[in-house]
Amino acid sequence: MAMRTALWCLSANFSPRLPLLSSAAQVSATRLLWRTGSPRTLSTTSVLSTALKFTDKHEWVRVEGGIGTVGISNYAQEALGDVVYCGLPEVGQSLEQMEEFGALESVKAASELYSPLTGEVTEINTELAENPGLVNKACYAEGWLIKMTIEKPEELDSLMDQAAYDKFLKSLEE
Amino acid sequence: MMLHLRRTSLLRGWSGVCRCQTGNQPSRNSSSSSTSSLFVAPDSSSAGLVLHSQSTNVYQNLALEDWIDANVDLQQRSILLLWRNRPAVVIGRHQNPWTECNLPAMRRMGIPLARRRSGGGTVFHDLGNLNLTFFTSKKAYDRQRNLKVVTEALRRVRPGLDVQATDRFDILLNGHYKISGTASRLSRKSSYHHCTLLHSADRSALSTVLRPSCPGIHSNATPSVPSPVANLLDHAPTLQWEELLDGLVNQYNAEFGFSSALTLVNPTDESVFPGLSRMETELRSWDWTFGKTPKFSVQTLLDLTDGRSSARSSAQLHMEVKNGLIESCELDVPADWLPRRLSGELVNMLVGERFCPHGAAAAVALLLRSESGELQTRLHHLCDAVLSVMG
Repeated sequence: MAMRTALWCLSANFSPRLPLLSSAAQVSATRLLWRTGSPRTLSTTSVLSTALKFTDKHEWVRVEGGIGTVGISNYAQEALGDVVYCGLPEVGQSLEQMEEFGALESVKAASELYSPLTGEVTEINTELAENPGLVNKACYAEGWLIKMTIEKPEELDSLMDQAAYDKFLKSLEE
Repeated sequence: MMLHLRRTSLLRGWSGVCRCQTGNQPSRNSSSSSTSSLFVAPDSSSAGLVLHSQSTNVYQNLALEDWIDANVDLQQRSILLLWRNRPAVVIGRHQNPWTECNLPAMRRMGIPLARRRSGGGTVFHDLGNLNLTFFTSKKAYDRQRNLKVVTEALRRVRPGLDVQATDRFDILLNGHYKISGTASRLSRKSSYHHCTLLHSADRSALSTVLRPSCPGIHSNATPSVPSPVANLLDHAPTLQWEELLDGLVNQYNAEFGFSSALTLVNPTDESVFPGLSRMETELRSWDWTFGKTPKFSVQTLLDLTDGRSSARSSAQLHMEVKNGLIESCELDVPADWLPRRLSGELVNMLVGERFCPHGAAAAVALLLRSESGELQTRLHHLCDAVLSVMG
């Protein structure tokens, strides 16, 4: 139990700058994480939380406690214009990475939403039914769209972090 | 750069009539030079394509739009698709058909309902209405520029015609009659913007069908904004289709620097559009057309007064409808009019059924058969009242 707790702590703090462990120790810590226990349990424990990750379709996902919260980026909400309706999936629906899971209707157009990860929908933001404008006003906070499980944590590696996304946005402007 | 076509090469035969631009087009397949030029590597003169659908079936044409959006690489080339439908009502992606159109009237008139994938409001299509779809990359998405093609074309064929695009992307004639409405869709890499153009539509049918089916619906579906409409033909009586279409094609080419001729396409030709009929089937399905309606509730008073007794009676009905299915139902019928047992049984029969008079009628018929005499008559009366709420 204590060992597992230690492992959990390690995974939660595992970031490029881990002052207490040497890089060799960091590598062996990761190897430990992946070897003990059942792969399924480990795959959720190894991604307890991440900072915002972005897709090239301008969705973001933030992982907390093995659950990913999904929304659209500020660039996307600005490009969309005022959102008038959010067409979201059902709780329990299974999604593949890149699969269309709904649409946002704005004064500009109906825009498809693409799932950043493979998983199952656990929650949808019911506030958006009465207040779709939350997507514009607070796209990273109250304007979140869905929450989902993370079936393939390695997919997170294929997503952009904040720095890479900012760079991506600059390249679009050219 | 070869145009990317995911499913098949379109360099096979071409069964429809094709008035394609030939001559200095580089031909990839020497056996049918005119057809292969349709999707060959675009140079500056063929970076635009104007297509005219031979179909007048609303589902086939909506599927054609979906097909082009999914299968044609629009990064390097743009397409203008022109199409007309036999009478139909088309609602926007997130709309509620029970509030937007008169479903019983449409059934009587044989007018089908379709839900499109773009946003926006409800429109009536018939052969007097022209639909224009502008396909481009997301980067090149520009609705005002597309509408300029329409207004400029109209001004050129009839100088002095007062047509103006508004900031809601409608086109108004003489400052207040709507002759065109717009909707659009943004997908992975591409976009399409489509609009209507009223040439000679049946305005009486239009106003009959664009009315709510039933009162008492509360929903947050995207509502239509009703507007007074007019037909171009009423204000430009000599403007026939041929002249209008030519004018639009010329203006499209002029605005975007293309030089494409009008090409007829047949969406039912699977060799040219593989997979299109599957898209059409999805668009025809009840699950898409009605099932995609955002959750709504119905709250209304049913009038149960029958001709024989002088006593007025009414029942309170409350239903929650999700995905087009009755999720919950409350029916408050005076117990002295009908035993609570029976109204309770009716409620149980309805929950889980489609919010549709046909769907629920079958379930209700079973219930009616189990009663007789006065009770059966009253129950029948109640069932009719409930079913009429469903459009």
